[in-house]
Amino acid sequence: MKRNHLWIAITVITVFALFAARETIAQTAPAAGEGMLEQVMKRGVLRVGMSTFVPWAMQDKAGNFVGFEIDVANRLAQEMGVKAEFIPTKWSGIIPALLTGKFDIIIGGMGIRPERNLKVNFSIPYDHTGMSIVAHKKLAAGFRKLGDFNNANVSIAVRTGTTAAAAAKQWMPKAKLRLFDDESQAIQELLLGRVHAVIASAPLPAFQAIANPGKLFLPLKEDFTREPIGFAIRKGDFDSLNFLDNWIRVVEAEGWLKERKHHWFETKEWERLLK
Amino acid sequence: MTKNKIRFTPLDAVLIVLMLAAGLFLVRRIGVDMNYRWQWPVTLQYLVRMDGGSWTAGSLAQGFLTTVKLSLWATALATLLGTILGLMRVSHSLFDRLVAGSYVEMVRNLPPLVLVFIVYFFIGDRIMTLLGIEGLIRSASPATQAVLTFLFAPPARLSGFFAGLATLVLYEAAYITEIVRAGIQSIEQGQWEAAHALGLSRRQQLRYVILPQALQRILPALAGQLISTIKDSAIVSVISIPELTFQGLELMSATYLTFEIWITITALYFILTFTFSIGVRRLESSMQTKSSAG
Repeated sequence: MKRNHLWIAITVITVFALFAARETIAQTAPAAGEGMLEQVMKRGVLRVGMSTFVPWAMQDKAGNFVGFEIDVANRLAQEMGVKAEFIPTKWSGIIPALLTGKFDIIIGGMGIRPERNLKVNFSIPYDHTGMSIVAHKKLAAGFRKLGDFNNANVSIAVRTGTTAAAAAKQWMPKAKLRLFDDESQAIQELLLGRVHAVIASAPLPAFQAIANPGKLFLPLKEDFTREPIGFAIRKGDFDSLNFLDNWIRVVEAEGWLKERKHHWFETKEWERLLK
Repeated sequence: MTKNKIRFTPLDAVLIVLMLAAGLFLVRRIGVDMNYRWQWPVTLQYLVRMDGGSWTAGSLAQGFLTTVKLSLWATALATLLGTILGLMRVSHSLFDRLVAGSYVEMVRNLPPLVLVFIVYFFIGDRIMTLLGIEGLIRSASPATQAVLTFLFAPPARLSGFFAGLATLVLYEAAYITEIVRAGIQSIEQGQWEAAHALGLSRRQQLRYVILPQALQRILPALAGQLISTIKDSAIVSVISIPELTFQGLELMSATYLTFEIWITITALYFILTFTFSIGVRRLESSMQTKSSAG
């Protein structure tokens, strides 16, 4: 009886060890296998990692995904001859999720940053965005320039893991930074008057200032950073990267990107889809 | 037994008035002082919506359904696993007791949030790729896919759903193991001895004498664990399972209707768990009358 158990234990451990070894070998040699492109074609589905950022990507009333990034992903999938499938993921964990293969590509307005680039590969930029500030009318009265916010008495709310958080650290290192899981919580905090300002990618701050004219205002006329936005895929897959880069060049030359950007960022026609 | 008649006293009236006033004050503070615009009609359409002449479930209702599915499956599978491990906990073999014991101690001494991430990023992913589940699902016939969608989640969300389910099962099974162990150990030693005296083997003792009695004591606790599972299921929202909490968070980040959506979520969870706890109370009292009658 006792000996029996010992053998079962040894067998189980050996099987696990073998699987683990196999997995490690498979992991270290991804280039020998198929790239993202082949996997997607074979599956017939492009799995896109994204997160809700108004108006880049969001769910409409019916639970369908809509937004600028969604249009981009759908057209990309269409031209690959596959279907796009959206996997909403928390922004702070989106790169680990890509690396562990939860999806094939991040199309979610991800800013190209050197520290991100150490972990993933980026395509050429298909869009540019800038950081903008929306501030509380009473708390930040008289604030006119970036330097006004760089003060130990000022607190600023941003979304965790975004380039807005990086921009806040760079431009206003003295201010207290409060991190939230998404922009709606940060804006809520601002409306409650617990922070002086929220930093986020344009046009969100402007939209919020329009929606709450009595409480919020835009201290700066223009965005204070300019950031390139690219697709992110796993490292070591240059064939797929080449395809993505050239796809971007084509749709940019067509003027399609500009037209879509106008629809989502400069009009508010899409708002009735949400409410 | 004498039944106390419920009387409506002046104190009750005062309490009701005070509670209403407190509620109104809160709503007023949010509405007027914080300048919050309540948009309840908008929120309702996330529950049910007119779509081309027929009623369809909105995204919150879909999330609610996922929560129910997730909780029911998790409880069912955790009961299975927990029963096996519970039996191992009271086994004569040291090996069995050690395996089940270390499992229970390990899981119960970890925060569930940590467990979710470990299963999602490490265990779940490795095992899923190893088994090739995703390819299998995608190549399945539309009929099979429809069945899977009905039972679990749409094919696209299936691997995430399973990772979430696996976490919940692992977590809840540790508690169910203890419920089963306690149930078996609560049976008097005399029952074992009597069964032994009848010449039954250990397996037969368990099956014919101990378990039927233990089950009666286990069942109410098990039903209570289902309620816990429903509440714990909110935690898998961190790995993007589209259950009630996650759907709500997504909606809030798209629409900024923070208060309305959190209140709706609270009400939905409460309706679900409260229904179950009434059921559990019924079950308990019916079992008590049965056992006292027999």
